[in-house]
Amino acid sequence: MKERSLWPIVARREFVERARDRGFQVSTSITLVLLVGIVVISALFNRPTTFDLAVVGRGSDAIARDVAAAAKALDIGVQVHELADAAGARRAVAGGDADAAVVDGERIIVHASPPAQLVGLIQAASLRERSKQALVSGGLSEQQVDQALLQAPLPVEALEPVNAKHREAASVAFVGVLVLYGQLFAYGYWVASGVVEEKSSRVVEVLLATVRPSHLLRGKIFGIGLLGLAQLLLIGVVGFLTAQAVGTLDFPSEAVATLGLVLAWFVLGFFFYASLFAVAGSIVTRQEDLQTTMTPLTILIVASFFIGISATSNPDSTLAVVASLLPFSSPLVMPTRIALGNAASWEIVASIVISVASTAALIPVATKIYSRALLRSGRVRIRQVLRGREA
Amino acid sequence: MSDPAAGARALELLGLVRRFGDVVALDDVSFSVQAGQMVGFVGPNGAGKTTAMRIALGVLRTDAGEVRWLGRPVDAETRRRFGYMPEERGLYPKMRVLDQLVYLARLHGLEPEDARARAAAMVEALGVAERGRDRAESLSLGNQQRVQLAAALVHRPEVLVLDEPFSGLDPVGVDVLSEMLRGQADAGVPVVFSSHQLDLVERLCESVVMIDRGRVVASGRIEDLRAADPRRLVRVEVSGAGDEWLGRVNGVRVTEPLPDGGIVELSDGVSESAVLDAARVVGSVRHFSVVRPSLSEIFRRQVMR
Repeated sequence: MKERSLWPIVARREFVERARDRGFQVSTSITLVLLVGIVVISALFNRPTTFDLAVVGRGSDAIARDVAAAAKALDIGVQVHELADAAGARRAVAGGDADAAVVDGERIIVHASPPAQLVGLIQAASLRERSKQALVSGGLSEQQVDQALLQAPLPVEALEPVNAKHREAASVAFVGVLVLYGQLFAYGYWVASGVVEEKSSRVVEVLLATVRPSHLLRGKIFGIGLLGLAQLLLIGVVGFLTAQAVGTLDFPSEAVATLGLVLAWFVLGFFFYASLFAVAGSIVTRQEDLQTTMTPLTILIVASFFIGISATSNPDSTLAVVASLLPFSSPLVMPTRIALGNAASWEIVASIVISVASTAALIPVATKIYSRALLRSGRVRIRQVLRGREA
Repeated sequence: MSDPAAGARALELLGLVRRFGDVVALDDVSFSVQAGQMVGFVGPNGAGKTTAMRIALGVLRTDAGEVRWLGRPVDAETRRRFGYMPEERGLYPKMRVLDQLVYLARLHGLEPEDARARAAAMVEALGVAERGRDRAESLSLGNQQRVQLAAALVHRPEVLVLDEPFSGLDPVGVDVLSEMLRGQADAGVPVVFSSHQLDLVERLCESVVMIDRGRVVASGRIEDLRAADPRRLVRVEVSGAGDEWLGRVNGVRVTEPLPDGGIVELSDGVSESAVLDAARVVGSVRHFSVVRPSLSEIFRRQVMR
């Protein structure tokens, strides 16, 4: 009689029980609320500034026109409001309705510290206006004066120009690393504590009477991994839609591609780490002891996380390049390097191959330790289990 | 492989051997449990009962020998139709009772709908139906024990193996469990359970297997074991005499002291009437009977020699 595969049943339980867990639902909701909040707030802060300029009296019109023209050329928004008298202008500035007021072309009124950009524009305009007056009264024709004064602004050559696309990719990658780190850690920990739960509650013996240890492990990893992927997808989609709605993303298709990279490397990283976390769980019997056996894994993930963060600003450093190839750090580094366009295709292929191959090599060893440690109580030594025989 | 017992509806453990390092836990252990039979598996702590049961369920591997059901060596697929209650009770603490039973039933091969129906029927039958949606950890120990039994029975097992199922149960729980096991045996399921409560085993089982230090020291119908026991035992009590006077009677050995006397084994050449005469000298005889060895008596003789 052919043995039916039981691991999908195990996987289903892991998925359903954990998805149903109140703590999971609450933490997912909090994550989503935080995410939406951060996206919305950052959109508010990054909104291009528009200045309100109040103008009063004779001589102010020309300045206002000049300011508006110059602002347009520099991509700065200036809204000009003509007011009846100086008192009204003062009130507008004091009440925050205007960022600055020009009175009779002679004085600039600001509330406290002068808004540098706006005041700079006004000063330049006023300087031009007064120079023009002086030159015209000195005998030059208005045409000659305009020719002399209305010069195109000097072109600016940036040594390291800001690439808006690159900058956005870096910040999306940064968020991706942050989320991936959280997911790998949380879901890896779930695998470990799930294993310990079965050991400490002794339910494992009931299970082993019908399921093979390897199937139990496979079901657990797939079930929890699928939930992690689903949550990641949910976070990604909600984050993307929010950013789209508030107009934060200038390059939405690049953001979607980064999201895809994050999902793909979650899968690669999760199977690798989950096997290790399962081992960490199987060699202890109590949840309290789990922290100790998880420590090496914690260090690996945290170190990879910091490399991943540094890669968002420096994707070509030797450290980042090497880390993007190693199986334990590549999930937190490679997506960033790809998103920033700094990874060669051979590096990407190598990273995937190394990740898959090392996970494939790791799983049988992890399964072996897990299977043999399941019915042992207390702290199990890995070397001892590997040398021993099957239960 | 042909076998005279092939096709018999019996769970057979044949020549099981298991070592843990230098310790021989099982040393050529063989016995069988017929369909419809309820067999008590008894032995002192550390005798190898749990190891034998774990091997029968495939939780542990055997170094030699095999386990058969219906005349064929059992494989993983066959074992899924066995019911098992381990000594270390185990349930998922945070999982709801019904979900837990449905899950185990599914692992034992039941289709989803059947699994749900069976789980509901089990909690109903065991009187924990109103706790079905509660987490296992919120149940009293007694109720957890019932759920544990439900877990062993939910998939209509063909064979039942229970490790110390009665330990920790109150008298009512013992009665409920006894009845359930009896019902299973009557339905044609071979039932084997280990227990230290020998009076209970004696009351419930027709047959026992006694194991000591990894070897079967006696097995068969309790009636036959009694008949094979050559000892002559007498129970004698003298009102208000205490239990020390028996020690002064020649040719008897106290096997079980009682408040005013005890059960004594008679040496060769000592007659029952000689003991009665000795008792009369001490005082007013309240009880005097020739007794047949209880399972406890047989156990002590087999295990403590």
